[in-house]
Order: sequence, then structure tokens, then C-alpha cells
Amino acid sequence: MAARKSALSHSRPRVVVVRSAKVLIRGYDADAGVLRAMLHAGLRALSGEAEPVRALAQYVRPNERVGLKVNGLAGRNAATHVELVDAVSDLLTALGVEGRRQVAFDRFTRDLTAAHIVDRAQRGGYRAVGNDDAGHDDELVQMPSSASRLASVLTRQVDGVLNLPVLKQHMLAGMTGALKNNFGCIHNPSKMHVDHCDPYVGEVNAVPAIRDKQRLVVMDALRPVLQNGPSYQPGLAEPANALLLATDPVAIDTVALALLEDLRAKRDLPPLASVGLTPTYLASAARMGLGVADRADIEVIEVEV
Amino acid sequence: MLTTRREFFRSCGGAGCALAADGLVGGSLLVPRPALAKSAPRAYPARFWKSLPQRAVECELCPRHCQVEDRERGFCGVRENRDGSYYSLVWGQPCAVHVDPIEKKPLFHFLPGSRAFSLATAGCNLECKCCQNWDISQAKPEDVDFQLMPPEEVVRLARDYDACVTFTYSEPIVFLEYCIDTARVARQAGLRSTMVTGGSGEVAPMKEVLALLDAVKVDLKGFTDDYYRRMCKGKLEPVLKTLEVIRKSGTWLELVHLCIPGQNDSEAEIRAMCRWVKEHLGADVPVHFTRFHPEFQMKNVAPTPNATLARCRDIGMAEGLHFVYTGNVPGLAGEDTLCPRCGKTVVARRGFELLAMHIKNRACEFCGAEIPGVWS
Repeated sequence: MAARKSALSHSRPRVVVVRSAKVLIRGYDADAGVLRAMLHAGLRALSGEAEPVRALAQYVRPNERVGLKVNGLAGRNAATHVELVDAVSDLLTALGVEGRRQVAFDRFTRDLTAAHIVDRAQRGGYRAVGNDDAGHDDELVQMPSSASRLASVLTRQVDGVLNLPVLKQHMLAGMTGALKNNFGCIHNPSKMHVDHCDPYVGEVNAVPAIRDKQRLVVMDALRPVLQNGPSYQPGLAEPANALLLATDPVAIDTVALALLEDLRAKRDLPPLASVGLTPTYLASAARMGLGVADRADIEVIEVEV
Repeated sequence: MLTTRREFFRSCGGAGCALAADGLVGGSLLVPRPALAKSAPRAYPARFWKSLPQRAVECELCPRHCQVEDRERGFCGVRENRDGSYYSLVWGQPCAVHVDPIEKKPLFHFLPGSRAFSLATAGCNLECKCCQNWDISQAKPEDVDFQLMPPEEVVRLARDYDACVTFTYSEPIVFLEYCIDTARVARQAGLRSTMVTGGSGEVAPMKEVLALLDAVKVDLKGFTDDYYRRMCKGKLEPVLKTLEVIRKSGTWLELVHLCIPGQNDSEAEIRAMCRWVKEHLGADVPVHFTRFHPEFQMKNVAPTPNATLARCRDIGMAEGLHFVYTGNVPGLAGEDTLCPRCGKTVVARRGFELLAMHIKNRACEFCGAEIPGVWS
């Protein structure tokens, strides 16, 4: 296994935070060139490789089929930026993963369409499909507290997944990032939102097909939703101009949570804990061995572009 | 050959349905229908919700009171917020349609030997680890084959099959607008309507549908809040409240308690439940203790021993309940209705089959004691 780095390959999980004040155009859309440069810088810092394609090769092999688990739920204004999906796809292509072996997916095709990802995929030569069209496996996957059918894209169409979540406050879970984005890989996420999604977020991420296929997380924190998420709320999304990268989904969410809290504080929004919205699922996920939730045990590398 | 429940349901939704149209499968008559196609569900304006700031809504249909953001769905998975308005994605779109014996519901004191035109949509507001119908109850509308069947069509078919209308299989509360509209049309047409439910509903919508129903069977799944939380992602208290509302409404009520070994079958729990039933609902409400079969998330648990069902029945009768039954074990003692005064068998059954009926004018033919229920 030459290509893959596990979440535990560093003694301390590494989370790279890349920022650029120039990435957002008029505070909304992403500048494709700047975002591409941010992605490349982040991959270099995460992997230690000098060249972005070689960096990506640490997580994906050229002969693999790759899923891009985007988040399209909240529409164009709070979905994974299409410019990021394009930039990742281009790198995969440069690595040797042709577009026909790349598929962006999420729960509904309509959401991917609203996020402009379907349109961009057609032009970019990769595929984009919702689980509603691609289907779910018939077999139930049993978890300690629940059971689900997995998205067929995940189980049948890809060998590895690059998780491209969006950082948002979530009125039920506290926050949504890398771990919760994988609710889009099951058929019944609405059943997992009780008790602040805990322990369901951890249990879903512990499902072998999800845990083992996830190679890398590239989190879109360009413009996080600070309140009343996960939908887009005009006036409640704040530019953070950041991209986060890691292989450890718990560690990246832990760092992202601190970022979200900082942004909320600047807008005089209360800490999530004070409104009963601590994302307790992070600690549960750590206890399940999915990663590190203690900020002191995470290596954070800041990069400016 | 059908090997799984999933395949069974699929066959009911596809060409196999027409082939089996006149045959009984599992005690049910499969209803021939037009060809089904998997397509996007239609949105129908929901009731029982209120607006929240930022285009969010709060569902008021069940005790969960899901606060649902734009483009999101509630826990049931079949009600969706679209731009600040709430919609049912299952109104008039059943995914399971059968004609069953009324005894299969089970309703033992409601028109014995009659038929129930039974229908369900996708979705449920609970997630019971033992669910027998998880294929549809834990599915989104997009996950199942469904057909368009407005209330008038339901009533027409029910009349053709000489059946009452029964909302069942998944959880009718999540398609309550459809139930209300259909039951209203049925009543206008002189047909009766019944419901099989987990009972986890809000009082106001339940009262509205109860005014149109003739009988309700409620699954009282356990008698501790811990059981409901752990096994069903629900709560006990709202179900008990619903039971009292049903009883006060005058709609005929029967209860089922699925006995799962080691989970909800202790003597203390059964005894407490029976006492509560007698005190709050009355001794005349029938209680069925039924056999669990390993399904869904509980395939590692053995079926309920017959001795457990017999013990539960004994406890119920010792606590003073008049009509206590065993179920899902054809031939086991406890399927017959006994007159609470003379002790003679007034309704004899085996499985879903009615063998003999000795009730005339709502009374025991042998001693004249009134036997509560809907008999004609």
C-alpha cells in the first residue's frame, strides 16, 4: 500500500489551515485561481511533499475510483464551492484518475444541481449524482444504536473518498463538518438527529465502508454559516477565507469548531455550549477510535496564501 | 420464490403484484394496481406545523416537534421544508396496499371475519429495533415504489373488496393528512376506517383523525421510558397520553404488546402495564401479547417462547383485564374471546381465521352479558 496514509500515520494528527484574504469575490463566490493555490499549499503542508500531485498521491492511487463527498444541502450559498470540487478534480486528473473515475455525490441530485455541481461536473468531465438516483444498498449495516443502508456510490462505485464538507453551525448537532458530512452516505440521516446526533455521528463514521474509504478531508470554511444552520442564512454567514485539510476527521472537526466559535464570538453570538449545542459527538467519535478530539494533541499548521 | 421481506414488498409493488392479484399471501390479498414507477414524490401541503424565523418550521404532528430548516426533513423523513412551508411527500402515495383479515391487525373486537383494505406510505416517527416493516417504515419516499392513490380511489377499492379502510404497516401518524382526507371520504361513503399506530402523536391532530375513525390498534411497545428511548428512539409518556385520548374519544381501542425476550417481558413491567391499562383505559380494552420474530436490528434475539406469552396473558387476566390474547402463534391458547361472565368462548379463532361467533346484539349468546366491541 504505497498510496494511502491513515489517520494515525502522524504521531500527532496534523491539521492544516490555509487562508487567503483574496479567495472570496465580493464576499461570496470563490476565486478559482486563489482557491486552487490554497488547495495546493494545503496539500504540500499536510503531506510534506513539494509538489501537489505527488502530495495527493499519498492519499489516492492513479488506478482508483474516487468519490468526492460534497455537501450540497444548503444550495449555492452554503454548499461546497464548485471551484474547490473543480480544483480537486483537476488534481486527480493530473494524478491519472480520469474524470470518468471521479464522482461527486451527496443525498439528492437536486441539491447538487442547485449547488451548480452537476453543471460543473458535466463541463469538467467528472460525474455528479445524488443517492436518490444512484440508490442505496439493500443490505442493512448494523450499528450499536441504529441501522442504515449505505449509498451505492460509496459501496460500489468508488475505492476511496475525498471528503469535502462545509463548516456550518448546526441547530441540532452543534456544528457540521467532516464527520457529520458522512450522514450523506446513509439512507436515513433524519433518524440520526436525535440527542444532538450523538452517538450516531461516530457510529456512522465507524462503519468500515465509510471509515476505511475516507482518505482525506478538505473542508470548505471559506464562508461558514454561524447560526441557524445547516441551511444558508443571509447575514449569518461570515467570511473566514479558510480551507482545512487533514486525514483525521475528528481532529479537523475539533480545529474547525474552534474556528467557528471564534467567528461566532466576533459576531457576539454565544458559545455553543452556553446554548446547549456542544457537539458532543466529537468526544464520542474520539472514544470510538476515529481520531483525536483533544486540541492539545493536534498539530495545527497555519499557511497564508 | 420470495426469500426476503424486501423482495416480498418489491413484488407487491411491481409486476408480481398483478400475477398474484387473486391469491392470498401471508393471509393478505394482494391488490392489483397500475404499474408502479420509482419517481420523485409529489409534495402536498402539510398541516400541523408552524413557522419559525429564518424559513424554519416546527412540526406539530408528533411529540418530537422537529424544528426543520429549509430543504430539510423531520425525523420521519417524509415531511419537508421548502422555502419555509412544510409539505407531506407521501399524501396519496402509498407504497404498500393489501387486503388483510381484520384479525391480522389485530382487531379482535371489531367486525370479526371482515376485511381490511390496508395501506401504508413510507416513513415513521419512531425507529424500533424490532420493526417488521422496516423496509418501508425506515425509508424515505424516494426509496420505495409507490403509486398515486387519492382518497376517492382508496374508498372505491375498499368498497370493491367489501373492506374497511385501514391505515397500517408503517406509521399512519406521519401521513395523517392522507388518513384524515381518506377517512372523511370513507365515512361519507358509509365505509368504516381503522388505524394501526405506535400512538406517538400530538393530541390535536390525533383528535381530528379519531373523529373519523371507527377503531384503533395501538402498539404499546414497552412500559418504561428507558425501553422507548433505547429501543424505539421515542418516549412512553406521549403514547400513554394518546391512549387516554383515544379511549375518551369513544373510538374502539385495542392494544398490542410485542414481547421481546429480555427486553420488555419482565413480570414487573407486564404487571405495571396491565394495572395502568385497567386504571386509565378500563378492563374492557383488549390487550394482545404477541410473539416477536427476529427482524431488522434484532436478528440476534430468539423468538418469544410460547410460555412467555402464556405468562403475560395470565398476568393480564390476574390483574383484572377482561380480554387478554396471545398472538402470532396460531393454535396457542389465548386466541379466543371468552365471555367475562360465563367464561364460554364467544368468538373462536385460529390465526387470522374466524371459526365461530356467539355474540348477538352485542351480548354473549350463552349468558347475555354485554361483550364490548363493534360487532356489526
